[in-house]
Amino acid sequence: MASNAAVPFWRAAGMTYITYSNICANLVRNCLKEPFKAESIHREKVHFNLSKWADGKPQKPGTSLQDPYRFSNLIEI
Amino acid sequence: MAMAVFRREGRRLLPSIAARPIAAIRSPLSSDQEEGLLGIRSISTQVVRNRMKSVKNIQKITKAMKMVAASKLRAVQGRAENSRGLWQPFTALLGDNPSIDVKKSVVVTLSSDKGLCGGINSTAVKVSRALYKLNSGPEKEVQFVVVGEKAKAIMFRDSKNDIVLSVTELNKNPLNYAQVSVLADDILKNVEFDALRIVYNKFHSVVAFLPTVSTVLSPEIIEKESEVGGKLGELDSYEIEGGETKGEILQNLAEFQFSCVMFNAVLENACSEMGARMSAMDSSSRNAGEMLDRLTLTYNRTRQASITTELIEIISGASALEAAK
Repeated sequence: MASNAAVPFWRAAGMTYITYSNICANLVRNCLKEPFKAESIHREKVHFNLSKWADGKPQKPGTSLQDPYRFSNLIEI
Repeated sequence: MAMAVFRREGRRLLPSIAARPIAAIRSPLSSDQEEGLLGIRSISTQVVRNRMKSVKNIQKITKAMKMVAASKLRAVQGRAENSRGLWQPFTALLGDNPSIDVKKSVVVTLSSDKGLCGGINSTAVKVSRALYKLNSGPEKEVQFVVVGEKAKAIMFRDSKNDIVLSVTELNKNPLNYAQVSVLADDILKNVEFDALRIVYNKFHSVVAFLPTVSTVLSPEIIEKESEVGGKLGELDSYEIEGGETKGEILQNLAEFQFSCVMFNAVLENACSEMGARMSAMDSSSRNAGEMLDRLTLTYNRTRQASITTELIEIISGASALEAAK
């Protein structure tokens, strides 16, 4: 954990530890030099179909996620 | 395929038999001659040849599938074995309590998207149902999170009202931690739980998979358990650095534990799937080979019989001519 004081802030933003650590991991990946950077980013592709169920039926076609970090705008900071 | 042809032929023959009830009464011998194939001296080998061709094609396909599964297995096996290091420290710290009694359980059933891989999906579903029965009761609630197309199809039949989330197409890209952690995050955000029970097939060897349950407790439950003592009683002897409370640390830990355990479980399950597919395809190509042997034998026998018949006919015809001279 980079900073202990940061915990309440990202919790307040609705992030879980998983999201937080993913963003940190992505920052580290971005710090790599070129051949490794593209390789490591290419490796961590996120794709799956998630659908919520209600009353014994799946709700509308599930979302297939392409953007792993729903806080990607934060990464730029 | 050939069976279908026979069945169709049979259906066409039936009314013709039924239409002549007198034939059966007359005499069994004469009716046999009438029902026998008229004007055909030898049996056509066409059907057997077609069947042999289709069996050969199926064998080719299953062999190819076995090869593909074997190479995929090799790729995923190493990663699955390496990922075991991720959950081991958590189990050392928090323990694994499959028997814990909580109000809200969520069973995460892992299965494959594709079939033809033996019984791994049905075992996972069976274990999940057993967990459902064990943990349901008055004031207790069990819900399912289903990963993979196959378990979804089976669970849909009898427990569709208890499914809260279903996830598919996880295996499209090679599995990686980022993907599984995002999935774990989504599951955490969408379900309320006291205990998550992850059901998957742990990979032992190419032919052995153990249906396994990993339990991840919610931070509140961990705290409660550690106060009571028991297995989690040692948790209080750890010092906490920084200004965080035990609750915060435990929440972070529980979330991270879930994503790590999920990562390992998904990999193990993928590995078991490949292993199961490999052995299933191996036995089916062996079966196809045996069937092919039997068919070849029948085919050759029929061929030989027809040749013999023809020879006999020629020889007897010739000898009749000789006798006439």
